[in-house]
Amino acid sequence: MTRDDRPLSPDIQIYRPQLTSVLSIIHRFTGIALSIGAPLMVWWLIAAAAGPAAYSALHGFLASWLGLVLLLGWTFSLFFHLCNGIRHLFWDAGYGFELQTIYVSGWAAVAISIALTLTSWIISFGMKG
Amino acid sequence: MIIKSSDQLPRNTLLKRFPVPKNFEVSPQSRIERGKTWPAPAGATSIKKFEVYRYDPETEKNPRIDTYEVDLDTCGPMVLDALMKIKDEIDSTLTFRRSCREGVCGSCSMNIDGTNWLACTRFITDTAEPATIYPLNHLPVIKDLVPDLTHLYAQYALIEPWLKTNSPVPERERLQTPEAADALNGADGKGPAACILCFCCTAGCPSHWWNGNRFLGPAVLLQAYRWLADSRDEATGERLDNLEDPFRLYRCHTILNCTRTCPKGLNPGKAIASIKKMIVERRN
Repeated sequence: MTRDDRPLSPDIQIYRPQLTSVLSIIHRFTGIALSIGAPLMVWWLIAAAAGPAAYSALHGFLASWLGLVLLLGWTFSLFFHLCNGIRHLFWDAGYGFELQTIYVSGWAAVAISIALTLTSWIISFGMKG
Repeated sequence: MIIKSSDQLPRNTLLKRFPVPKNFEVSPQSRIERGKTWPAPAGATSIKKFEVYRYDPETEKNPRIDTYEVDLDTCGPMVLDALMKIKDEIDSTLTFRRSCREGVCGSCSMNIDGTNWLACTRFITDTAEPATIYPLNHLPVIKDLVPDLTHLYAQYALIEPWLKTNSPVPERERLQTPEAADALNGADGKGPAACILCFCCTAGCPSHWWNGNRFLGPAVLLQAYRWLADSRDEATGERLDNLEDPFRLYRCHTILNCTRTCPKGLNPGKAIASIKKMIVERRN
């Protein structure tokens, strides 16, 4: 029997999700979301420059429930990627590797990014008047 | 919840498994089937179920999950005791590695309730009902709970885990101050030299699952650091050259499952960061 015929033991299918791996995958997904969101923001700027007709068409989409959900996701992605990115900066400098620190900073990144997302939405809806 | 040390068990987990399809990224011969149940003897009062990954290379059959019912009244306290009881009294074909039964040899590393640990240092009372036992992750399975570690040992050999010197051989041992020895053993006994090479961390590293052919993984990189940190070793530059590679070292994305799972409470994640730092610092 050769090596290749052997079964491979399961990995992601059975490994327990932990704060470490879950935040890592969320960091990657929010990074992807930000990359997709960046052209949308350019589109918004172009529409704003192109005049009222183009802008109102885009605004109609963004103000719809789907647009709002996308914007909420994008806002959270921005703040989570920022907060978790700061954890990565500390790690790259060699700090924050004690297990307790990993967990405290991880939960802090989750809490702060949710708080910043809610705050920015409350402020923007307040400005809408 | 805040985890303070790797031996702390998770209390509440929102997800027991990642939300991926059951046979996500699994080749046909690796698909796991339902096996048989081995009931406890009549009259047993304290029954515990163990769901164990089984694979027999002598048959053409796929791996399966067998359920063993063990009478805890006549069983030792550790998961390894239960496995040995199963092998002795219920099903002698069950195959697993074990030796020291006290967490020093690193033979009985396996996936217990979804994370990697030594079967000999995990209390049965700390496992789920039923307890799930799988071999270390993402490795070719030789039989049951025995994975093929050939590739991991080859990666270990790649970092040349021995003392390398250019200076003339002294008449006596190459001496080290207690402080310099602490860099290896750790002042708390949890330095890189305390690693028992059980590969719990490497088998629990998602980067190693998907890039393990070229990424060295946490266990081997912890050992790489062990030789970089050795005050007697004179090949630091050569060792860093050997590691400065997009895959060997830099596929570490600081997920830190390694530090979370180490059954000896060591910190491979920090050691890898130290190597990255040494590479940056030598450019100055």
